[in-house]
Amino acid sequence: MAIDFSIFVEYGPRLLMGFWLTIKIVISAIILGMPWGLVLALGRRSRFFIPRLAATSFVEIFRNTPFIIQVFLFFYVLPFYGIRFPAEYVGTLALAAFGSAYFAEIIRGGIDAVSKGQLESARAIGMSDWQAMKNIVLPQTLSIILPPLTNQTLSLIKESAILSTITVNELTMSGIRVQGEIFRPFEVFIMVALLYWGLNESIAFLMRKIEKKANKGRTTNQNIAGKNTFISRGASR
Amino acid sequence: MKFDLSYTIEALPRLLEGATVTIQVALLGFLFSITLGTIIVLTRTTLNWRILNGIIAIYVSFIRGTPLMIQIFLVYYVLPVTGLNLGAFTSGILAITLNSAAFVSEILRGGLTSVPKGQFEAAKSLGVSGFALWGRVILPQTFIASIPPLVNEFTQVLKATALLSIITVVELLRVSQQIYSANYHPVEILSGTFVIYFLLCFFVSRGSVLLENHWRIRRA
Repeated sequence: MAIDFSIFVEYGPRLLMGFWLTIKIVISAIILGMPWGLVLALGRRSRFFIPRLAATSFVEIFRNTPFIIQVFLFFYVLPFYGIRFPAEYVGTLALAAFGSAYFAEIIRGGIDAVSKGQLESARAIGMSDWQAMKNIVLPQTLSIILPPLTNQTLSLIKESAILSTITVNELTMSGIRVQGEIFRPFEVFIMVALLYWGLNESIAFLMRKIEKKANKGRTTNQNIAGKNTFISRGASR
Repeated sequence: MKFDLSYTIEALPRLLEGATVTIQVALLGFLFSITLGTIIVLTRTTLNWRILNGIIAIYVSFIRGTPLMIQIFLVYYVLPVTGLNLGAFTSGILAITLNSAAFVSEILRGGLTSVPKGQFEAAKSLGVSGFALWGRVILPQTFIASIPPLVNEFTQVLKATALLSIITVVELLRVSQQIYSANYHPVEILSGTFVIYFLLCFFVSRGSVLLENHWRIRRA
């Protein structure tokens, strides 16, 4: 089997269109999922039973089931109750819900990693719970959770391939369509794989640089951050 | 339309049958990936050839940087072109193995660093080397240290098997698709499937604690 390089030139633009949609979907999912993840994280730490139970069940349910079934359920359940969206929106929503469960765990881990004394001294000088959280704890959390958040973003890029099963025309789906026309699986899927790989590696590279800059002269947090990347390698696929 | 639980209950026996296939695939894939992952770690630390290390690094980076779905497609569609016709089940397990082994090797590498250097030195001063050094002294400690991430990896594999439904492996998700394409009740059937997957993964991840306690006692 000889590799036919003309395929890369001829069908590359079509795959790039799909690639662009993948990027748009992942960015929208992060924009939707991150605030919701913060809400879930705060909910899990709440003093009251009901929000704690709700947030914990949401997180555990989304973390303990395959993403592909979550996608199918969103795809079939929403119309079941009369809500109709285009497939891209449903897919983005599913990806955001899935991502938010992992974001919540990362943020929660970050909040726990900030020493308890910080919160207590903030309360002692008269800040309210929310003020202490907003002004003291969350800013410190940010530098700790940056590496695991990057990991999670990479994982969302990879999971977005599953949206091809509900006919979202993203990178994987364009690949499947092109393969269905020309029957050259190796060239097509290698091209798709290289696009995902290149995107992931460049984001990882960029974030490593940013981390290094952010952590300059902050040795304590760096140690915690290093530990966290190892622990929260949770959603690897 | 109303949610009709009787469809879920009716489908339950077939779904559970599918779940046993899912468990089989996950166990087989995980077993192979632990073997391959251990081999990768061993070649990396004992042989330490530069070219081999480079190849392993590229392999791990590729697996971690691309979606599992694409890896499954590469195995399932490309191998037959080169003349190797494996069938859906075998290529599915092969894809899962190749994918998971990369993660397992990274986990074991982390576990290996937690084994104190004194263990190597003590073993060497007692004249223990080669198979006995790795098989009796170092690897057991590596595995015990890696139990939590390995159990986590197993739940990842369990969830990943659902993707094999795309290449027509008849596991839990495929079975439920077969059922709802016959009776047109996707919501009821998929909910049942969803619950089964949740219970499987939830209990496996909670089992991590039991496993850890068991080995801690054995060790002491």
